[in-house]
Amino acid sequence: MTDTEFPQCRIVTERFLNPETVEKILNKLVAIEGIRRIVINGPSIPQLVPYGPARGLPNPLSGKARILVGETDVDLRVQVGTILLELETRDIVPRIDEACREVFSNFTYGLKEGKFMRSTPTQTDYAKYGPGADELMIGLVDPKNKTGPTLIQGTK
Amino acid sequence: MAYTPQYGPGKSIVAENRRKQMNPSVKLEKIRNVTDEDIVMILGHRAPGQAYPSAHPPLAEQGEPDCPIRKIVTPTEGAKAGDRVRYIQFADSMYNAPSQPYQRTYTECYRYRGIDPGTLSGRQIVETRERDLEKISADLINTNLFDPARVGIRGATVHGHSLRLAEDGMMFDMLQRCVLEGGSVKYVKDQIGVPLDRKVDVGKPMDDAWLKANTTMFHSLVGTAFRDDAEYVEYVQRIHSLRTKYGFMPVE
Repeated sequence: MTDTEFPQCRIVTERFLNPETVEKILNKLVAIEGIRRIVINGPSIPQLVPYGPARGLPNPLSGKARILVGETDVDLRVQVGTILLELETRDIVPRIDEACREVFSNFTYGLKEGKFMRSTPTQTDYAKYGPGADELMIGLVDPKNKTGPTLIQGTK
Repeated sequence: MAYTPQYGPGKSIVAENRRKQMNPSVKLEKIRNVTDEDIVMILGHRAPGQAYPSAHPPLAEQGEPDCPIRKIVTPTEGAKAGDRVRYIQFADSMYNAPSQPYQRTYTECYRYRGIDPGTLSGRQIVETRERDLEKISADLINTNLFDPARVGIRGATVHGHSLRLAEDGMMFDMLQRCVLEGGSVKYVKDQIGVPLDRKVDVGKPMDDAWLKANTTMFHSLVGTAFRDDAEYVEYVQRIHSLRTKYGFMPVE
């Protein structure tokens, strides 16, 4: 079970972000020491057309599908509108706010402290990871998803 | 005394726009000029220039039974020719899109014949004979019922109506059927998501001031708040009260 003592915060932007903006904000965030986990969230962008007569056809997009965060490639599967963060200490919240202010200059955003990630395994988590689940995985990715999280080399 | 339809209550600009769209004696304002060929491409039901496939022989050839209703009702061009029934579907962003599903259905029922609209919360589909559909679609796309950024032509996978807009002001579309390029919106896929041979330009997105002045949707944050239109609120409350007390047979 994840240690519930870790503070969490949520960034919600007024507009859905372009891949370029996501790249910019994530690179600013990963440079801040003391962020344990980041979840990027938003409506899904499927690789295949999911419904209708064209179901199953490839769904090519004109935007960037892969961004570079730190030195790691991250595949974007969603149009990002929410970023969840788990922090080691709440002292870095002002630095996160500052990073947001720099990047989100054309629209507003909200930064809220609270509890946003799941801290206890659900039945689906249990079925997927078993009783000895890695606490870092709980609440991080959809357990039904076949792709896991992306690990970005930390500064420690 | 002859009955004059009022089309709807309200004193706000939203109410006025709703009445203007519904009233068939008010001409829809033509804003853009998307060609018939481009519309056929976006619809994706037949290739441009291809003959209309038919569902039955033309009415003149198939011999109509002696029916009083058929004598009263003149068939539409598409019905006369025996065209297939095809559709166009729109998703309207709740951020001041010029029209919205219920409004579209009312508008179409007042203005066009031989149609079968389907109204859902975030999208509206209208089915009719193919050649009639192309004419109706041209009206729906080229006039003030459409905005390239806030309205999407989406046959399937329509999600986007209630979501935030993208940074460039476009409504979310997981199939990205249209993209903003050089200030103009271009369709790169047809309404079901099949890539097009060439991009179809549907014009520049309207600015925020125009959208706010021409929308038929209430929105307390970006447009006109519903509560600011006292007459509309009173009307809705009255209908709600009558329906609650008397069901489908309201008696005051």
